[in-house]
Amino acid sequence: MKDDTTIRERVLSIFRKMKKLGYYWRLFPAVFWLGFFLVLPLSVMFIYSFWTMFRFELFPTWTLQNYLDIFVRAEGLYLRLLSKSIGMSIAVTLGAIALAYPAAYYISTRGGKYKYVLLALIMTPYMVSWVILIFGWRMVIGYTGLLNAVLMEAGLISEPMRLWGNWMAVIFVLIVSWAPWLVLPIFVSLEKIDRTLLEAGADLGARPSENFRKITLPLSMPGLLVATFFVLIPTFGEFVAPVLAGGASGAMIGTAIEAAFKRMHNWPFGSALSFLLLTIALITSFVLIRKTGLRTLMESL
Amino acid sequence: MLRGKRILSTYFYLFMLVIYLPLLSILAFSFNNSLSAGPPWRGFTLRWWEAFFSDPVAPTAVINSLVVAVSVAVVATLMGLGVAFVLVRRVFRGQNVLLLLLLVPIGVPYLLIGISLFSLLGVELGLELSLFTLAIGHILVALPFSSLVLMARLIGFDRSLEEAAQDLGATGFTTFRKITFPLIRPGIFVSMFLAFIISLEDVVIANFLVGGDLTVPMFVFGRLRLWKGLPMAKALSSFMVVIALAFACFFFIRAILPRERPRLPR
Repeated sequence: MKDDTTIRERVLSIFRKMKKLGYYWRLFPAVFWLGFFLVLPLSVMFIYSFWTMFRFELFPTWTLQNYLDIFVRAEGLYLRLLSKSIGMSIAVTLGAIALAYPAAYYISTRGGKYKYVLLALIMTPYMVSWVILIFGWRMVIGYTGLLNAVLMEAGLISEPMRLWGNWMAVIFVLIVSWAPWLVLPIFVSLEKIDRTLLEAGADLGARPSENFRKITLPLSMPGLLVATFFVLIPTFGEFVAPVLAGGASGAMIGTAIEAAFKRMHNWPFGSALSFLLLTIALITSFVLIRKTGLRTLMESL
Repeated sequence: MLRGKRILSTYFYLFMLVIYLPLLSILAFSFNNSLSAGPPWRGFTLRWWEAFFSDPVAPTAVINSLVVAVSVAVVATLMGLGVAFVLVRRVFRGQNVLLLLLLVPIGVPYLLIGISLFSLLGVELGLELSLFTLAIGHILVALPFSSLVLMARLIGFDRSLEEAAQDLGATGFTTFRKITFPLIRPGIFVSMFLAFIISLEDVVIANFLVGGDLTVPMFVFGRLRLWKGLPMAKALSSFMVVIALAFACFFFIRAILPRERPRLPR
């Protein structure tokens, strides 16, 4: 009799547990995807970085040569590319935030009932591919582009300026194309600021500029961190803009990685470079996420 | 004070002008009767548009892009829903690990996602690269955005509404259809829109995963890289610009028209 109840209880508890676990099947597709298409491929890449490639064939030789090559090959060219890419990424991030901040501020303070329309209008250029945007910019600031044509017509310059095909063009194109995307997170953080704080500041005699510097800017910091996260990481690996707008001086580490895979057919070397870049990117994002907090990141989307 | 305001609004109009400038110039110069990409203006023509619609490849690229983008939007949102529900409504061991893992695709440059997936799918598994492998990559990068958007929506969700429905005798599915879904619908739209855009505009992952198939950005990228076939790239780009501008007009008109009052779910 007593056994009977314990068995029944046990069965019931197992059943309850199964029902509880049943909820978790919803996780399965995403976890499978992350495991099989993110962790596994990155591990494959990591393993490749210790192999060698000879005449389009991979050999599992387990060597550190590829990592050494990053430092010695082409007189340290790759290291220079890496530091240059990081520098350019930081410049792009700062520039894009500087462009986006006033726009977000305008929408937040003056948008009225049109706030969300304005945001949507700012996002729409993104429906057009990044490549197409670069193409458009070449029409505008290219050697035979609109800007040169207009300035020549106006007689301000006698021959076209070479604005395209160097590292400045890459930075410019990246800044202008990233800025609209950043308006959103900055806008969200501005919206969350308690307006009464500003009134209190004004009552206590702060000038608008002081109010901005002491209240608005510090409180919008989370948005700026999210924005940094959004630009900095992809720009580390950028290769489209350097290829199309960069010419010789605009090359970045992404260009080198792409070339190692697609043209040099040296996948292990490319993997070693990739892995180095991956480490830098992951550390950066980890630091940024720690600083921002997940909640802010979620709310900015 | 007033001067500061005027500067700010002037800046804003300039900002809008600048971000629309490349789109408008692509559109304008697609009617230019010249083989080169930009000025000088050599008269109005429709021949690039005619060439575009009679081209065997270019319209396929548009269709390919849209097919991939729509499927990515749907699949990533469904997966994101699953993750969001469990992460928001349950507490379990390894939750933080999962959250962190979910964020990794944003923390890895797209280039590396493309390369590593190429190494696994194309080299190790020997799959033929196609729109299908491309969609795998796009779903991966869209997943974090979808999940985060939906999680944010679910966190502010009043669960007593669901409980009330169930107390009144609604089955699980009915509760979802009548209560949960209408309340998270905005999140679902945003998630699908983000995933759609991420897929539609990507060229970095596509460069490694698309194989022989063509998407719009890959088509334009190929033409620009080789500096040939510019008119076709122009017409194709303009086509996408028209789609984007149509969206912009849609938003604009919706904002200007009087808004109907939001209806409560019956």
